[in-house]
Amino acid sequence: MQKTRILKASVIAAAVGTLLTMHANAKEKVFVGHLADYSGPTAAVGKHYADGIKDTLSWLNKNGGIDGTELEFESVDYAYKVPQAISNYKKWTSRRDMVAMQGWGTADTEALISFASKDKVAVFSASYSGHLTDPTGKNPKTKKPAPYNFFYGASYSDTCRALVQWAKNDWEQKGKSGKPGFVHIGDNHPYPNAPKKACAEYAREIGFDVKPPVVVSMKPGDFKAQCLSIKTNGANYGYVANLGGSVVSLIKSCDTVGTDIQLMANIWGGDKLTFEAVGEGIDNYVFPAMTPFWTDNVPALENVKKIARSSKRDDSFQTHHYIRGVCTTLYMAEAMKWAKDNGGITGENVKNGMYVKKNWVPEGMEGVCLPANWASDDHRGINTVNIYQAKWDNGDIDVGRISQVELPRRDDWLGY
Amino acid sequence: MNTELLLQLTINGLIVGLLYGVIAMCFVLIYKSTQVVNFAQGEFLLIGAWICWATLVWLQLPFWLGFIITLAFMTLFGILIQAIFLKPMIGEPIISVIMVTIGLSMFFQALMKWIFGVSAQSYPQVFETSTVTIGGLNVELAYIMSLIFSFLMMAGFYWFFRYSRMGLAMRATAFDQQVASSLGISVSKVFAASWAISAMVSATAGIVMGMVNGVSDALSFIGIKVFPAVILGGLDSIVGGVVGGVIIGVLENLAEFIDSQYLHVGNLYTIAPFYVLLIILAFKPYGLFGTKDIERI
Amino acid sequence: MITLSMRPCGDFRTTYKADTRIFETRFILLATILSVVALCFAPLFLDAYYLTLFIQISYLGIAALGLNILVGFTGQISLGHGAFFGFGAFASAWISNSFAIPVWLSIPLAGVLTMAVGMMFGLPAARIKGLYLAIATLSAQFIIEDFFARAEWFSGGSYGAAADPVSLFGMNFDSDQSFFYVALFALVFMYLWGTNLMRSRDGRAFVAVRDHYLSAEIMGINLTWYRLLSFGVSSFYAGIGGALYGHYLGFVSAEGFTLMMSVQFLAMIIIGGLGSVQGALLGTIFIVLLPEVLEATVSLIGSTGLMEPGTLVENLAYFKEMAIGLVIILFLIFEPDGLAHRWKQIKSYWKFYPFAY
Repeated sequence: MQKTRILKASVIAAAVGTLLTMHANAKEKVFVGHLADYSGPTAAVGKHYADGIKDTLSWLNKNGGIDGTELEFESVDYAYKVPQAISNYKKWTSRRDMVAMQGWGTADTEALISFASKDKVAVFSASYSGHLTDPTGKNPKTKKPAPYNFFYGASYSDTCRALVQWAKNDWEQKGKSGKPGFVHIGDNHPYPNAPKKACAEYAREIGFDVKPPVVVSMKPGDFKAQCLSIKTNGANYGYVANLGGSVVSLIKSCDTVGTDIQLMANIWGGDKLTFEAVGEGIDNYVFPAMTPFWTDNVPALENVKKIARSSKRDDSFQTHHYIRGVCTTLYMAEAMKWAKDNGGITGENVKNGMYVKKNWVPEGMEGVCLPANWASDDHRGINTVNIYQAKWDNGDIDVGRISQVELPRRDDWLGY
Repeated sequence: MNTELLLQLTINGLIVGLLYGVIAMCFVLIYKSTQVVNFAQGEFLLIGAWICWATLVWLQLPFWLGFIITLAFMTLFGILIQAIFLKPMIGEPIISVIMVTIGLSMFFQALMKWIFGVSAQSYPQVFETSTVTIGGLNVELAYIMSLIFSFLMMAGFYWFFRYSRMGLAMRATAFDQQVASSLGISVSKVFAASWAISAMVSATAGIVMGMVNGVSDALSFIGIKVFPAVILGGLDSIVGGVVGGVIIGVLENLAEFIDSQYLHVGNLYTIAPFYVLLIILAFKPYGLFGTKDIERI
Repeated sequence: MITLSMRPCGDFRTTYKADTRIFETRFILLATILSVVALCFAPLFLDAYYLTLFIQISYLGIAALGLNILVGFTGQISLGHGAFFGFGAFASAWISNSFAIPVWLSIPLAGVLTMAVGMMFGLPAARIKGLYLAIATLSAQFIIEDFFARAEWFSGGSYGAAADPVSLFGMNFDSDQSFFYVALFALVFMYLWGTNLMRSRDGRAFVAVRDHYLSAEIMGINLTWYRLLSFGVSSFYAGIGGALYGHYLGFVSAEGFTLMMSVQFLAMIIIGGLGSVQGALLGTIFIVLLPEVLEATVSLIGSTGLMEPGTLVENLAYFKEMAIGLVIILFLIFEPDGLAHRWKQIKSYWKFYPFAY
């Protein structure tokens, strides 16, 4: 141990020495790692989210970076493989002095939780598992506090709660009596299961009759059998917890069987490309979004289009996953700005930068990104959920916002 | 007990099971004549589905033409795969041969994603009406058409193996490779033919899956799903493959019935076939119809 | 499998004792000891990236050796090794969390527990062989994976399980530098033990079962027991590997222990060489480094500026996947006996230069 300490000290001394001499003429740089899934099992949505992040990072650099500090970044396709995620993370922390990382899914995010908190690297991911929102381990249900993990958006559990709340209103508005039935439809895997219990508890609390969950594989296939169960067990509202091809198959199968259930998707279970693949079967399909839709009439969307254009990307349409990628990166950039003014851009300062403002939106993104509140003991940044509905309309898909649900910040929901 | 649901699920199981049976048959065909367990069978379905999709959507061809082009392509594809990758593996241990097909499956999986993208796509409307009702259950017409087509093909195979020269050669090769080749049968032609037929029939199944569920890269998982059916029937019995497929199809649906009505375990639909597989193998180590391997010292 | 027992020229022994040495010559023994000693100083010079690659190689390599004992030495096929690896990871976390057993003890206990589960799923192996067995173990893969997602008392279900770092005498092995020593110790220990096992009565029985099980049975080898034992030993290794993985990450999630992982273990031992202890290690090194080398190539091409880096990453992602599949195929076609065999050939070529044939 003594030896390592001496070595460390000498390395630091050398580094400081070079920094002092180099500082005068070199442009300041910080490194951001970016793990993306372009070719793995979650690529169908991962690609769009990753594009959003990559475009925003290069756009930031084209516009002066973080007040003059360039954001060096490397995008790596890890194909949803944990070993690749770990080795890239280690490469970045040990060689590039990574301050923040843009991650992706459940697998890599959870594998890196303890490394990130030890190395003090702020990790932004698109894994919205509820247990990532409890940085101090306040809730006894939290297995492992994740102090350096952030995500932009409501957690899977909170999104599902919002949808259930909407369903309750919908039921009452339609003037129906009795207890509406609710069912969770998804695979038996960590990602679809993430909101299963929490959401069922809340549904029961507000007067739903919660039916036993229906398990539908993440791999697409014929799901008529499951749809027949859904049809007979009397559920009125179904939460679709899968993504990609599996959702397409599910909607098609249920359409064939003729269920009259109102399907409500999780954040990855509904986007325009999915709807186009389903075609006719899309009938009042409800899905959440943390941003507006590309075609919505929101002035600030022009800024998102600018970001897309600057990377020569088609600005006529991008999915809402793309916009969420943009928002995630911009929140990180704002936190970095604060860090720069308050002791330099380090992982710890970026983390603290996330807590400074209340109800904040990145500059120029009013109406696109939802106002956020991160706190040192509560990483539920967003507690608002936009609810959209998609309808098949003779060869075209109509998408429109039908509601916005604001959830209370209940203590027992923290990290759950 | 909800008999209506039970009936509908059974019908569904029979229809989906027959499709499993067709795919299982493709498996068995390759195994029987070339002793290769093809872990890339699912990719054959995927490639067939994507090629046909491309002829319909990119080239805007009518379905019958696209279908024929796909079949022709897959025939060629099957022959090439055999000649390039599997011929050098003759005589290697089973595990190495399995691994080659796994390598092929990884390769084509990535290739398809690269060419056709990672999002699910849907087929254009091919048949006038998309569903028919059987015993109160709506079933996609594509299934019925494919089953008719498969039955025609099976009848054709029956004739082929029974009476045609090539078919007899294939049976002879399956029975004993060395004797067959010493009698002047071109074993390599037989190998190529069985891969070609298998690829072609798999493509048909893939197109049906694509029409019903949409095409996406995970479609190839059906190749793994069919394993219980193949093993249940016995690896080297074509009839066994079809029967195994039907049994697994019905079993899945009955598992779903018991699960959703009584047990509420969840996931029985996917897992039950594997439990049943283990139980059956414990009693009948060569499946229901497989040939017993009798060894003499 | 005949090729496995063929030796390159010049490799002759005159006594049976020479055939059962762990280290064939004094030079190899010295070289091994020296390289282990040299590795002990590695954390002083190598950065965390190299260390993490070494740690990955050791926990995967331990599991791969287990699979090689089952597949390469006993001639059974398993497609469920990834699930056993995962079981070991969860088991160790579960044992240390719920029974307050220190981690250094919970890792071997997890191995024993995984061994029990492996033997349970190995039961069909008493009766079935070859491909039927392959598919039976495929069932094990899916059943165990389903169990991970379901058994909240054991694996934490969808929340995963926290795994404490290894600690011994008040020292916490929670950084790459310190965990490196844990991994190195485990790797050396398990590989020595594996080599030793293979020269014992049990190890020779395994080989006999593989080479001709009927003759083996006539010689008085209990087939059922040795097939089961082989499943047990293989799962024990998988369990140890998995447990190390869990305690290295500090967190075990039910994702990742998929069929793909099992296939990867198979790829390791086939590329390294079936039925060779050092082959398991060589194959693991190859499979772990392959994506890293490809990744480095991608960023090298990216830095030349010939292609726009954005589109490059997207397109090369698929090429990378295709390359892994292709490398496996090419290896099997051109080097079916694996790296270990090639290594022996190279060695004997130089040993007897210019008289080798």
